[in-house]
Parts: sequence; C-alpha cells; structure tokens
Amino acid sequence: MSDCGVNCEEALKEIERFLDGELDPNVQGEISHHLSDCHPCMQRVEFRRSLKIMISSKCVGDTVPVDLGEKIRGMIRERDASA
Amino acid sequence: MAQTTAADDQALRDRFERDVLPLLPSLYGAAMRLTRNPSDAEDLVQETYLRAFRGFGGFTEGTNLKAWLYRILTNQFINTYRKKQREPQIVEGPDDLDEWYLYDKLGGRSVEVSAETEVLDQIPDADVKAALESLPENFRIPVLLADVEGFSYKEIAEIMETPIGTVMSRLHRGRKALEKALWETARARGLVDE
Repeated sequence: MSDCGVNCEEALKEIERFLDGELDPNVQGEISHHLSDCHPCMQRVEFRRSLKIMISSKCVGDTVPVDLGEKIRGMIRERDASA
Repeated sequence: MAQTTAADDQALRDRFERDVLPLLPSLYGAAMRLTRNPSDAEDLVQETYLRAFRGFGGFTEGTNLKAWLYRILTNQFINTYRKKQREPQIVEGPDDLDEWYLYDKLGGRSVEVSAETEVLDQIPDADVKAALESLPENFRIPVLLADVEGFSYKEIAEIMETPIGTVMSRLHRGRKALEKALWETARARGLVDE
C-alpha cells in the first residue's frame, strides 16, 4: 500500500472505471501510482484488463452473409431518402 | 425547406454507402449477440440500415455516426425482437457474486497473472460469444457496447436512452454475470479443476 494517494480498497473500488478510461485524469493518475507500488492490486487489474481484451477479441469475427451488403445497397437504391 | 433534387439524393446515397456500409461487419456481430441467430440478425441489420437511411438526411455529418447507428439497432432490437423472444426480462443481477469472482475462482494466488489468463485464452471464441449471449438483455447490451464495441459510458447512455448511473450499474452487474458464465464454460470444457 502506498503512503500517499489512494489505498488498495479505494483503488480496487474504481478499477472498472479505471480500465474503462472513465475516471477524472487526476484520479486515474493516483490509481496508476498506487498500482505501480502495489503488486497484489496490479495483478487484479491486469487480470481484469486481460479479461476485457479476451472478450473484445473473441466476440467478433462473425461471418456476414455474403449477399447482405448487396441486399442493403439494393434496398437503399430503391428508396427515396427524402420520402 | 428546399426541395431535394435527384442530385442531392444521389449524394446522400453515396455518402451513406461510403460512411455507413463499412460498419456492416461490426453491426452484424452486434446483431448476432442480440438476436442469437443468423436469420434474425440479418433481418435486424437490414431494418437498422433501412431506418438509418431514412433518417440519414437529418444526421449531422461529423457527429458520432457509430453511436447513432447503434442507437437505431438497439431500439429496433428492443421494439421488435424482444417481443418475439420468450426470455423473461430479468431485472435482478447477480449481486451476491464476489467482486473478484473469476479471479478468485481461477486461483488468484499465483505469482504471475499468466496462469489465470491462460485459462481465459483457451476458452473457444464460440463459447465466449455464447456466454455473453446467455446474459439477460439489460446486462448484455451494456457489456456488448462497452467491452466489444468500445463505446464510452456517455455513448452507451445515449444509445440505451438511460442515465449514466444506470449504465454503470448494469455494466458492473453484467460483467459479474459474464464472469460467472465464463467460469461455468471453463469448467464444462475441463479447463479448470473443480
């Protein structure tokens, strides 16, 4: 635990917003500082970061039906946009 | 309002094809996670594009196109497909789950994080998708928008038309529910002992 700034409990409480990049830059900085000094917290944060990356990388790549793009183009061409 | 000319229409159509059509793969993926089957996903995407095209004249160029499109997709899904699905609308989340559920389950005691993340990496893509799809829709949507599509809380609030506080709480509970689903998947796959 670092002697100034946030403690473990405070850092871990904000971890979701920290990883989502949704914190005020000052708080973001304080948590980064805490993590650089606190291995157990850093491990938890790195785990959550890996989890987020794993989800984003594995939930993509669905094969779009081959004719879907063409269907949409056809649909648009038939329609009058201002109607 | 000035009458639109054929040339204006053509310009709008060209701009739509140039800016909106390239988002098809990401939109189709999101539609798959929402509807959970290719046929409904295709219909949802087509309806989304049709609505988007109708509204495209009123869309301000330079503003957040992707968020605008996802808002149409989400609305369309909620209004059309939710009615078709028999899934009960569970509002409660897994509040009783420990804050570090998956981390603790996977060990959380080793010197290096790699042991825990290795298990995650071994879960097949299709199983991760299925785990996400198993979440009740009010949790699945924010997790999809944040973790797969990379939208900010503010964007998600706009897409879902809910306050940011609600987004954050659903995202938090949704992620916990996803951790639980992933743990069950890892266990069913024999990737972990227990």
